[in-house]
Amino acid sequence: MTLTRRAALMGAAALALGTSALPVLAEGWPDQPLHVFVGFPAGSSPDLLARIITEPLAAKLGQPIVIENKPGAGGVIGVQQMLHAKAAGTAFGTTINGPMTTAPRLTPDLGYDVAKDIAPVALIATSPLVLAVAADSPAEDLAGFIALAKAEPEAVAYGSVGKGSGAHLTAELFSDRAGVEMLHVPYTSYAEVTTAIIGHEIDAGFMAPSAALQYVAAGKMRILGVTSVKPFPQTPEVPVMAGHAGLPADFRAELWNAFIAPAGTPPEVVSALNAEINVILADPAVQQKLIDMGWQAAGGTPETLATRITEDTAIWGAVLDRIDAKP
Amino acid sequence: MTGWEGFLHGLATVTQPGVLVYCVFGVVLGTFVGVLPGIGAMATISLLLPITYYLSPEAALIMLAGVYYGSQYGGAVASILLRLPGTPQSAVTTFDGYPLARQGRAGVALFTSMSASFLGSMFGIGVLVALSGVLSHAATAFGAADYAAMMILGLVAASTIGATAPAKGLAMVVLGLILGCIGTDVNSGTQRFTFGQTELSDGINLVALAMGLFGVSEVIGNIRTAERTGVPPKVRLRELLPRREDLARLPFPALRGATMGSFFGALPGTGSTISSFLSYAFERRVSRSPERFGTGAIEGIAAPEAANNAAAITAFVPTLTLGIPGDPIMALMLGALVIHGVQPGPMMLEARPEMFWGLVASFGIGNLLLLILNLPLIGIWVSMLRIPFRWLYPAILIFVCLGVYSVRASVFDIFAVAGIGLAGYALSLARFNPGLLLLGFVLGPLIETNLRRALLVSRGDPMVFLERPISAVFVLATAGLIALSLAGVLRRARQKT
Repeated sequence: MTLTRRAALMGAAALALGTSALPVLAEGWPDQPLHVFVGFPAGSSPDLLARIITEPLAAKLGQPIVIENKPGAGGVIGVQQMLHAKAAGTAFGTTINGPMTTAPRLTPDLGYDVAKDIAPVALIATSPLVLAVAADSPAEDLAGFIALAKAEPEAVAYGSVGKGSGAHLTAELFSDRAGVEMLHVPYTSYAEVTTAIIGHEIDAGFMAPSAALQYVAAGKMRILGVTSVKPFPQTPEVPVMAGHAGLPADFRAELWNAFIAPAGTPPEVVSALNAEINVILADPAVQQKLIDMGWQAAGGTPETLATRITEDTAIWGAVLDRIDAKP
Repeated sequence: MTGWEGFLHGLATVTQPGVLVYCVFGVVLGTFVGVLPGIGAMATISLLLPITYYLSPEAALIMLAGVYYGSQYGGAVASILLRLPGTPQSAVTTFDGYPLARQGRAGVALFTSMSASFLGSMFGIGVLVALSGVLSHAATAFGAADYAAMMILGLVAASTIGATAPAKGLAMVVLGLILGCIGTDVNSGTQRFTFGQTELSDGINLVALAMGLFGVSEVIGNIRTAERTGVPPKVRLRELLPRREDLARLPFPALRGATMGSFFGALPGTGSTISSFLSYAFERRVSRSPERFGTGAIEGIAAPEAANNAAAITAFVPTLTLGIPGDPIMALMLGALVIHGVQPGPMMLEARPEMFWGLVASFGIGNLLLLILNLPLIGIWVSMLRIPFRWLYPAILIFVCLGVYSVRASVFDIFAVAGIGLAGYALSLARFNPGLLLLGFVLGPLIETNLRRALLVSRGDPMVFLERPISAVFVLATAGLIALSLAGVLRRARQKT
């Protein structure tokens, strides 16, 4: 911890010489180091994303930011620990979509109510998923894939990173909209899903672009479509799924990552953080770093994030209903 | 570029002063955190991660890797001297290392472990350089059915080791399997035996289990006897050195262990744990005097230590050539590379050969450094045993708490290690072998997951285990092993009548 803090201090000191866009707050906030809780281990994608944002943020706020990695339960433990530490007034967090949207349905004894306990700050970035198959898969394109899957129920097996994960729910949403039944095989990481696809244990998987693209470049995988509304910058040639191969025009499934605070955080603190994060996200260098990791900078007001949470909770809630209804 | 040419190019990268110094720093740091109970490579690498922003990618990776394999050397020290393994793979080293230390031959045990570690690593490097192309296929050739069959073989083969009574050994394996069920079921997402504790949703912390069962229970057990046994006498240099018959027992078990370790290490998963248990079981089986195992057999240290060090080297193959990390530490290493804009995976050997071969060459340099560093340190480590218990034990407990907390920053785990320590003490009073519990705990969830996954993918057809050639070999080997054991039992029964 000491080392992390020291590194944060060093980063802060180096960058504090630059300018701060922060409007001076009445009570002189922040007057002590901030703690940002991340529900994933150091070195993981959500952790790297948090570091990309908090490093310039610390410089702008003039206070070091300590990343608190509290991994477990799909990111839920990070949120719980942030709420646990909120009394200090310096606890914030970054989270993926799961703990804000599907966790209330999937995690018993969640210990928090998203609507009551969380103050949305800013959407940091979004990422589509890509439908990946082995390079020698008989499915030439999205239409071909759907045709294969339609041949008989469970003709196609797909991998996900666990029941209730974004990869699983996206595949179920896709099955519903495309009118197919696929066999779900849960794994625990994209690395395992990749191995299984390349080794022909399963036929396909909805994957994070960062996890799939290098295998495409190496000629071991192909991707048949992206789940975002617009084409993905790193793979402009891959078609979006919405409106293609018989899928509805509003087909959309995105993972996201957001900055959150405990409810009760002063509104001026929330809006100050939101303003700074939007400035950081507008920086082309930051945008490029995010794209390299498979993410697209998002930004917007706290309300944008709040709306996103409500909408996605509804979308994924419907998918969960469909899964629960299965025999 | 062939493997050996690449290796030579890599040597050029490592021997740059700006890189070499980080290699030295990494292995020295790795040794020390390996010695400290519980604080392992995982915690150290996550703490070092932010610092690597300021280093070149080569220096960063070589340093972090040095911490990783350096900690394997250090891990054996606490296992031998204090019966305190930080990880399951060094748990095997306690079986014979700790009895040797108790006989006043800790120096010999440490010498054996260090030299076997070195031999194992060098063997692993040789395999990596010569066969990295072939090895990288192993990871994708193994399907769920193959993993399940392989781990069942590992469990069956190892279930009989270190056992005083076979029934007691089996009981421990089963208890381990049951404890391994705690957490979220991968297939259904159901919480099993978590009793509403979110902290348990990812299962019991492995480090907490290992430290509790071995270290904490040992501390509790020694409280009664500590004042009476007093401080061991000062060890003379002559007693640190192995006798000729000790030396004769070292090379072949180490080579066999290294071979197993190199193979299993290349498979993502728990290759190194399986290889250390399996190589121990194997040595016991081929030994002319298996009764010495568990009382301080040199082979019982040499084989597993060579195996886990060889596995630590070949574990880099799937990580670097496929981008598929075999364990959480490798996943962290992968993250470190991504921070530096290096994407490990199928493209790495072509895109960044200097990085790949620089790392491989650093293994060679690093292990040489570790041997040079550690042999003179043996005397110092042994003198640690002369620290009075009333100072040593509280210090150990503090390090255990720090170490367990460092894994995932969870206070819950500190209470868990205390509870597990008490339970472990009760088990040791009843003469149960906690190593087998640990093995069941590690392999159980993997067997379950892969077994169910294999059946899911085969749409419920159990013949998949015999149709896949790799799996079939493991199934037959398991059947053969059970048949051998049964035949032995029958023969002994007949001799009695």
